Amino acid sequence: MAERRAEVTWKGDLMSGSGTIDRVGSGALAPLDVTWAARAEDESGGRTSPEELIAAAHASCFAMALSNVLAKAGTPPEELRTSATVTFVPGTGITKSALSVEGRVPGLDEDGFRAAAEDAKVSCPVSQALAAVPELTLEARLVSD
Amino acid sequence: MPRITREAEVSWEGSSARGRGAITAASSGAFAGLPYSEPSRIAASAPETSPEELVAAAHAGCYAMSLAAELTRDRTPPERLEVRAVVVLDEVEGEGHRIVESRLRVRARVPGSDDDAFQEAVRRADAGCPLSALIGAAAAISVDATLEVT
Repeated sequence: MAERRAEVTWKGDLMSGSGTIDRVGSGALAPLDVTWAARAEDESGGRTSPEELIAAAHASCFAMALSNVLAKAGTPPEELRTSATVTFVPGTGITKSALSVEGRVPGLDEDGFRAAAEDAKVSCPVSQALAAVPELTLEARLVSD
Repeated sequence: MPRITREAEVSWEGSSARGRGAITAASSGAFAGLPYSEPSRIAASAPETSPEELVAAAHAGCYAMSLAAELTRDRTPPERLEVRAVVVLDEVEGEGHRIVESRLRVRARVPGSDDDAFQEAVRRADAGCPLSALIGAAAAISVDATLEVT
């Protein structure tokens, strides 16, 4: 069992106030500022947001899960590049997370790669935690040397 | 309805136990190239970030904003909220690793509020926080909130 923690300090009301992700257990994330404007407007102004952090969690979880699926099938990846694009509707929440992956996987064809990617998308812990998101989509593509 | 998108990118090399990845906030640039790996993800504690740590940061930030909004609706905007989220990854029989819990702890300084009104705002914030609702559909969410006497 692994517990992971983060601490946030917020001051003021939602619209004019501001917060900081002060500390995370690993110490790997510097203090990160968050505001409602940075979260809910098209331009982030260089500030992260809960939805960008969820995108980071999803993309990283998916990459690791896919690496596992491929290794178990006897075709471990050389390299995977994944991304997650999370769509947020203020007042409603996260309506979509779109995963995409480009992989360099010796000995595997496009169909096999897509099947592995679909398996990883369904099974990874963050996808499971996001199971109530209306749309979880996937694009997967092999790249060759 | 405004729809806001945020993106993150990961590059990963190698496989599973010996594999390593790097995580980048592609929309904001607020963090880039954060290393992570399987052994550090499942260890009791680690100097590397992990998907669960990122979820904890997201949940704490989201809940803080929801609670600030609820307290403002009550005409008692907060002077200061300290929100800690602890996300738990555990092995579930037949399913592998799952996020099973996110525990929130709140310490609040809210001039003009009292325990009853504050706890009611805490409940509304939990019900209204999009990430609590989302994660709560698959995992256990709890909130332990204390109003500091000002």
